[in-house]
Amino acid sequence: MARALVVCIGNDLVADDGVGKAVHAGLGKSRLPEGTRLEYLGLGGIDLLEELDGEERLVVVDAVQFGSAPGTVHVLDWVGLPYMEPRPVSGHGIGIREAIEVGRRLYPERSPQHVHLVGIEGRCFDQLGQGLTAEVEAAVVVAVAAVLRLLG
Amino acid sequence: MAKTIKIDPVTRIEGHARILLECDDAGKVEEAFFCVNELRGFERILVGMEASTLPQVTARICGVCPTAHHLVAAKALDNAAGVEPPVAAKLLREFMYMGHVIHSHALSLFVLAGPDLVFGLDGAAATQNIVGMVEAEPALTKKGLRLRSLGQKINETIGGRGIHPVTAVAGGISFKLNDGQFTRLQELTAEAVILSNELAGKVKGLLFGLLDKNPVLLEKLNAPSWYMGTVNGGKLNLYDGDLRFMDEQGTIQGEFSSDSYRDYLVERAVAKSYAKEVYINHAGAERMYRVGTLARLNVVDGMETPLAQAEFELFRKNFGRPCHNAVIQMYAKLIELIYACEKAHELINNPALRGDTRVPATFKGGRGVAHIEAPRGTLIHDYEIDAKGIVRSANMIIATQQNTAAINKSLKEGANNLKREGSDEIMLNALEFVVRCYDPCLACSTHAIGRMALDVEMQHNGKTIRHIRRSF
Repeated sequence: MARALVVCIGNDLVADDGVGKAVHAGLGKSRLPEGTRLEYLGLGGIDLLEELDGEERLVVVDAVQFGSAPGTVHVLDWVGLPYMEPRPVSGHGIGIREAIEVGRRLYPERSPQHVHLVGIEGRCFDQLGQGLTAEVEAAVVVAVAAVLRLLG
Repeated sequence: MAKTIKIDPVTRIEGHARILLECDDAGKVEEAFFCVNELRGFERILVGMEASTLPQVTARICGVCPTAHHLVAAKALDNAAGVEPPVAAKLLREFMYMGHVIHSHALSLFVLAGPDLVFGLDGAAATQNIVGMVEAEPALTKKGLRLRSLGQKINETIGGRGIHPVTAVAGGISFKLNDGQFTRLQELTAEAVILSNELAGKVKGLLFGLLDKNPVLLEKLNAPSWYMGTVNGGKLNLYDGDLRFMDEQGTIQGEFSSDSYRDYLVERAVAKSYAKEVYINHAGAERMYRVGTLARLNVVDGMETPLAQAEFELFRKNFGRPCHNAVIQMYAKLIELIYACEKAHELINNPALRGDTRVPATFKGGRGVAHIEAPRGTLIHDYEIDAKGIVRSANMIIATQQNTAAINKSLKEGANNLKREGSDEIMLNALEFVVRCYDPCLACSTHAIGRMALDVEMQHNGKTIRHIRRSF
């Protein structure tokens, strides 16, 4: 069984939303500690539950909009993970925290003890068919390094 | 003087979608707008691509309904190439699709709408989510999520990948069933049929309880419109068939093949939103219509599978034809969920599934149009492909575009009838509830994580006179 799971999330057709995919590619070229499983998802939320396989540690990589300067890499632990707005109206609106809380209640044997989010502050999320903005592109290596640090 | 109330609750991306209410002096909502982003950017980037890549590329538009885009693109390519896929290919595509529908409807019913059913409209917003629902109804939620997972596994086995399927191609599907997969899929579909049947009673009990407690939902959320959905021999079919449309009285007004959609549907740019609205053009008039689960069950004469048919008869008996009530979409979704499970089980046991799955397909230059019933409603892909197999133009009509006019009407009704003096929270809950009944697709794709509060702005003469923010 893998000791750690890294899930990168994003849609590389949509500008800075593609940063998860870019970090996934970067991690794919890096040497990951033994027992690490690397996955990619187009959308997080409940899909995240399917990926859990009893790993001790989960690192989620995703684009964020927390209001910092574009390209800022946030590393948040469980306490720092944001809550989603109370009620999503579509499958697009379910967060990591909510998914893991559901997992811990329903599938405790598969749910991770340690959860981190590596969030890359994006600037542009409404342009289809565009690549990453320069600030976010530059942040990819920083995010890859942050994930490797969390994996120890 | 008119006042405008603006609500930005329904997405995690600023400006992605919002609700705008324009009120008169007395506070009565005169007009409501659900504003969504458009998909035009996507259609633009398809131009110049190799047509054969369309099923893979369009599947990536949306993380919520990738299989619908994947399959409708493959069907449009069949038509552009002028080929008919082998029987086994069509059955396997439909089987993959049933997996997707099970997954999507279970998510929608148990994760998104579930908390409305369990907590009603007056509960505290902070606990009214999937986490609260797991606490209140752990067994129901676990079964619902299991059903969703079964659908995803079916979709993944046939589609080759879980998130974005890759196997459907022009001329068929690049997949053949082996014995191990066959046995496994038989088990999965059998479990799905049992689970959906077990869950049906509970979901109905919760829904009817909600309606009993809130009679206003049945009385006031009726937004008469025309309806459109796919029928095959008069019965519901989600993968293929003709489009049937019905007027608000319940009279069937016509049926057409999606390659002639331009003769029946008109797209209109509208104020307040980037998305184009779509109307049925019939006998010289443009008619507002709805697509999706409720629309489909309004237009069909019956269901192909026995458990779904039994439930459908109850639905008809209780809510009539057509049923205009947005809340009853949940019931319609349950019936389709039962159907998809039964249909999947029937398909895996069909011996014709084992035949050839592909014929050669080349593009000689021309147009390819096809449609599918996406979980949220009719999805049309229309491509112009040149003799070199390059996409020259693309047009897509998605469910939410077709439903926007009806969503606006339901929001207006909901805002005027569900708001109560002194309680912004209840009105906000009610408006979100209305939007969730339609389970709209928010221009697909983007999903960054952000702390987006519920924001309501009331404007008077262009100035903000009141700002209500829902805190975390």
